Amino acid sequence: MASAVLFVGFGGIGASMLLALLWAPSVSIDAFESPAAQRIFYWHVPAAWAAFIAFGALFIGSAGWLFKRSDRMWRLHVAGSEAGLATGLMTVWSGCVWGAAEWGTPWDWTDVRLNTFGLLTLLAIYVVLGRNSQPDGVETRDTFAAFGLYGFVLVPLTYIATRIWTIRHPGPVVGTDDGGSINGEMGLVLLFSAISFTVLIVGHMMASMRLTDLEQKLERLQVQTDKVA
Amino acid sequence: MAALLTLNEVEVRRGMDVVLRNHHLSVSGGQCVALVGANGSGKSTVLEVSAGLLPLEKGSVLHGETTVIDHEGRRRNGPLTLGLTLQKNGVLGSEVVEEHLQMACSMGGTSTEAAPFLEAFNLKHRAKDLVAHLSQGQVRKIAVLSALLPAFASDEPCLVLLDEPSTGLDDDAVKVLCEWLSVLRQRGHGLLVATHDQRLLGQATHLHAVATGATEPCEAPKDHPEITTPSSPSRRCSPAAFGVKTHFQTMLWLNSNGMAALLTVGILLAMGTFYPNLTPLQQLGFLLAPAFAAGLCGEPLVAAMREERAASWWMAVGGGVPHAGGMPLMIGAVVTAGASVGFEEPLNGLHVLVGALLCFAVWHGVRFMQLATVRLARPHAAMVGLLTPVLILPYAVLVDWLTR
Repeated sequence: MASAVLFVGFGGIGASMLLALLWAPSVSIDAFESPAAQRIFYWHVPAAWAAFIAFGALFIGSAGWLFKRSDRMWRLHVAGSEAGLATGLMTVWSGCVWGAAEWGTPWDWTDVRLNTFGLLTLLAIYVVLGRNSQPDGVETRDTFAAFGLYGFVLVPLTYIATRIWTIRHPGPVVGTDDGGSINGEMGLVLLFSAISFTVLIVGHMMASMRLTDLEQKLERLQVQTDKVA
Repeated sequence: MAALLTLNEVEVRRGMDVVLRNHHLSVSGGQCVALVGANGSGKSTVLEVSAGLLPLEKGSVLHGETTVIDHEGRRRNGPLTLGLTLQKNGVLGSEVVEEHLQMACSMGGTSTEAAPFLEAFNLKHRAKDLVAHLSQGQVRKIAVLSALLPAFASDEPCLVLLDEPSTGLDDDAVKVLCEWLSVLRQRGHGLLVATHDQRLLGQATHLHAVATGATEPCEAPKDHPEITTPSSPSRRCSPAAFGVKTHFQTMLWLNSNGMAALLTVGILLAMGTFYPNLTPLQQLGFLLAPAFAAGLCGEPLVAAMREERAASWWMAVGGGVPHAGGMPLMIGAVVTAGASVGFEEPLNGLHVLVGALLCFAVWHGVRFMQLATVRLARPHAAMVGLLTPVLILPYAVLVDWLTR
């Protein structure tokens, strides 16, 4: 099931990229320093959207483990952090490429959205690498679930950052009171890409949860074998 | 009178196993309760839970009538004087034997002469030595004395927790230890001892089988003659006071924080005379960078206190893990002033103050992150450094705000 969802997600993203490069209209030359690089937006924005879904899963999984001691919630924590790491890196990497072309610099330390998103990705790296460095146990789960909760504070801050501090990052282009600032075809490709990324990230998390489940079963079998031996 | 120690329906997990389930235990004044059971049955877990060191899935732990830890994570120091010897010794190699014992004794607000106890353990000639210079058995004796001296110095009933205290001790020392346990019990202190040693089991008034949770009284142990231990009031050693003292003794701060600051200044000065050509924002950013770098290294004591589980001992007995206290203020001020001189900038009191506060805030912020991983099986492998960039944004905002 997870493989099928992943396959659909990959296919959708591939189609989105083809549409973005070959079909979607170009932006106004006057509004952008590097109009060709703007097309990276069809990758960058949906990847960021998928990252927010993943970080949301990380938060729910972390809270579920801490308050309910649920193995299923722990698997969601693991899946959310790995998916958050993957999509976070996709977003940061594509943002750096776009920033280098558009702003003349790949990183701006004064841009709050850029930095808070970078920190979110860094947190995902920390949670994934840190967790993998430890044996599974309640101490490991409690510690990294707590970090998962702390990190989620950054999500609403990152989301509202461009609404409060518009420095380099553009303000929101969809979901605004004036009906948005992108034209129909661009919006359609962006929507298709966002749906594809959502499908991909859901498939990724399903596969990851299944893998963690199998790891836990293997661990239990090993413990039973130790006892018999 | 309330029991000195009560474990109420305690459930504890370690790793993926539930080690204790609905466990109940009570220790009153005048009792010596021995924890018995096979290896891995949970004796050390009961002892560490009693010291408030392990989080609970269910239940609560009381010292007297005060809840010291419960399953909702509430934690506070109990009103009782606590003497504790863990499986590891809980003593840093950089401590002097006599000073460590005085410090441990002061935790109860009183002190007593350590010399007779050192003499009984054949350690009097080692009183001025560093713990690092002692043999394993000798360090074990110091760890045991650290738990017993606060009780000997106290007129009020104390709780003494000992985990395998006779491990590594010679026969004469075990015999002396048995006498001391008897005297402390006669004085009305409550003793909880995890042991396999038949000689120590002979001092027990009750046996608690950890596997079943059952407590049975046993034959009354023989009383020993009272020992005279004059005591006097003493000022309790705080984690900050111990931390600052250890920093000065070991120069840990210079090795990590100080070197980071010096290297930052050195690298910036090595770049030539670029400083006057910078904008005010950039100049202040460079000026405060050494103090920021010093703080980013965090608290070196957190790693040092992993030696022999000294941090756990301090958390249970001292109420917190030792730290540098206000030292980062001084370090931040000095390196910012030094950077001003290096950049040929007039000394600005505000900048020095900001450097001091910045170093203090960042140092303790990183310490908070370091302490968040102490429960892990391999805390050194948890890569807390990956989280430190979270401090760069506030630093940039601070510099921007100060130059407006």
